[in-house]
Amino acid sequence: MGKQEVKMICSYCGTGCGLIVEVEDNKIVKVRGDKESAVNKGQTCIKGSFAYNYVHAKERLTTPLIRKNGELQPATWKEALSFIAEKLTSFKKDFGPDSMSIFACARATNETNYVTQKFARAVLGMNNIDGCNRT
Amino acid sequence: MFGDGAPTNRFEDFDKAEVLLLIGSNTTDAHPVVANRIKKAVKNGVKLIVIDPRKIDMTKSAEKHLQLKVGSDIALLNAMMHVIIEEGLYDKDYIARVSEGFDELKEKVSMYTPEYASEITRVAADDIREVARMYASADHGMIAYTLGITEHHFGVNNVFDIANIALLTGNIGKEGTGIMPLRGQNNVQGAGDMGCLPNQLTGGLKVVNEADRKIFEDAWGAELPAEVGHTQTAMLEKMTAGKMKALYVIGENPILADVNMHHTTQAIRNVDLLIVQDLFLHETAKIADVVLPARSWAEVDGTYTNADRRVQRTRQGIEAHPNTKGDWQILCEIATLMGYEMNYNSSEEIWNEVRSLVPHMFGGMTYERFDNEGGLNYPCPSVDHPGTFILHERFHQGIELKEKSRFVPVDFSPPAEPTDDEYPLTLTTGRRYEQYNTNSQTAYYPEKIKLKQTEETVDMHADDAASLNIEDGEYVEVASRRGKVKVKAKICKKMQKGDVFMSFHWAEVPTNSLTIDEFDPISGTAEYKACAVKISKLA
Repeated sequence: MGKQEVKMICSYCGTGCGLIVEVEDNKIVKVRGDKESAVNKGQTCIKGSFAYNYVHAKERLTTPLIRKNGELQPATWKEALSFIAEKLTSFKKDFGPDSMSIFACARATNETNYVTQKFARAVLGMNNIDGCNRT
Repeated sequence: MFGDGAPTNRFEDFDKAEVLLLIGSNTTDAHPVVANRIKKAVKNGVKLIVIDPRKIDMTKSAEKHLQLKVGSDIALLNAMMHVIIEEGLYDKDYIARVSEGFDELKEKVSMYTPEYASEITRVAADDIREVARMYASADHGMIAYTLGITEHHFGVNNVFDIANIALLTGNIGKEGTGIMPLRGQNNVQGAGDMGCLPNQLTGGLKVVNEADRKIFEDAWGAELPAEVGHTQTAMLEKMTAGKMKALYVIGENPILADVNMHHTTQAIRNVDLLIVQDLFLHETAKIADVVLPARSWAEVDGTYTNADRRVQRTRQGIEAHPNTKGDWQILCEIATLMGYEMNYNSSEEIWNEVRSLVPHMFGGMTYERFDNEGGLNYPCPSVDHPGTFILHERFHQGIELKEKSRFVPVDFSPPAEPTDDEYPLTLTTGRRYEQYNTNSQTAYYPEKIKLKQTEETVDMHADDAASLNIEDGEYVEVASRRGKVKVKAKICKKMQKGDVFMSFHWAEVPTNSLTIDEFDPISGTAEYKACAVKISKLA
């Protein structure tokens, strides 16, 4: 895969620093501030420049899990998503849309957040959607 | 009020201000690059006034530090307005043209003499006068604040009072002025702007407004609910009452992050179906019924909106593990399984749908422009529009506004849980420099990085430690009416007597088992910033 530099926006606080992320063999090897960014003009803080290893952490989840007999057990995507779709469909029918809620993610992209609220409103039929926006 | 949940100006305006009030913001630790910008602006002549219960690092650059009592901001701001009105330092022409309700404000603040406010805030009356004159006399007075303002049961009133003083002094609608809420997470602004709020659709349109809903109903081919939904805190209440069947948590760890952990855990355990979509098996994921492995920041394309309304493009740099999925892909697949077909080929396709639905906000922001021009500040209605640097510029165009901004006078009320003989100390919580929230990401620093702090401490004044016979570095018990934790004591010069400080970064010391579940009635934001605790030596 070789080495490449990718322009990203920092994922921590709301400043929105531009970052140049150096990637080698699908691993982040270095992060530096983007001098072209009007927000940070090349600067970064310790979180922005060094707190990226979580991306490669061995503890990352790599399979869906479903609770069976009290324990979370590995499942296929098909199993997990069908289980969720069936449950949510039955809650909507039996208890009404107001019986469901979503905590959205203030760390995720605008595109994810747009789809999240579209899912809440158009699919589940409710407005019980909020995030850690308030904390 | 003129406020619509967005910062009025840009970071660039810090350089153009004459006086900057920094209220309830530990900028150095929470927004380090903004702190650097402010410090540089100070070197170039901006006068910085820090209003904070702690002697935080920013005070080193400040002309003046008002070390007020935790949660007494309204008393202070009202007293400043009292001085500004009494001494005629407000912008009479401006408020006549753009505002209404001045007389009510004047009456409300009349009782808040600096002497009276001094009793509540512990700030000297003459310091209140001096700072009021500095801010009101400046041609360009700016205010930045963070969670020290909002994380109170009167957080919305705090925000109203900041808006009151800015409006009173003509500090809305031109460069080097305005109000900047510094957002704690990379996309708090964007999540709200996209409609992840119980009362708001995409682009700030309103759930209760039929015409607004219709835009989305037509585009989505679905009827939308007209009633405002529950805030996160109200949802937790419904869970406690057994009235919530399902909770879907995306990229969040509420058990560790929310106030009164014991209560939060019980509430969440009460739902029949808990879905957690995240990177790690954190505390909330561990009690889930279904856990979905999502993709991280470096593995996705898209845009974020920062704390100055700037939408910026981030790009995928890493191929994710093949058995993970991106957040929106997962939601699309579930929707489709539920009989509502949702498919997108790229984040750009989603963004273009947003642009088409609320063109007055984002219409002119294409991915191509982000690539060529960098970030763009909304509103940006057309592709030849440069983006909006300053909101409410009409306030300074010398015209009488048809729709005026109303002052919202507010009264001081103390934090919900006062200290008493049994719980004599005020615990205020916040963030530290190297860690981020529940530390599920910042736990992975490379070994070569020598961290200043690797475990939680309870930061306290030397006199409080001495009276309890506690030494620096000693493990102690901190207890509130809701829980207790064992934690290392740190004698800290930032603290004033009677206050102690902790963060909530380490699961080993779950600080939010102490915090109180009192919420602002309008925003639902919890009072992380104040509760009563006691500290005792370990046996």
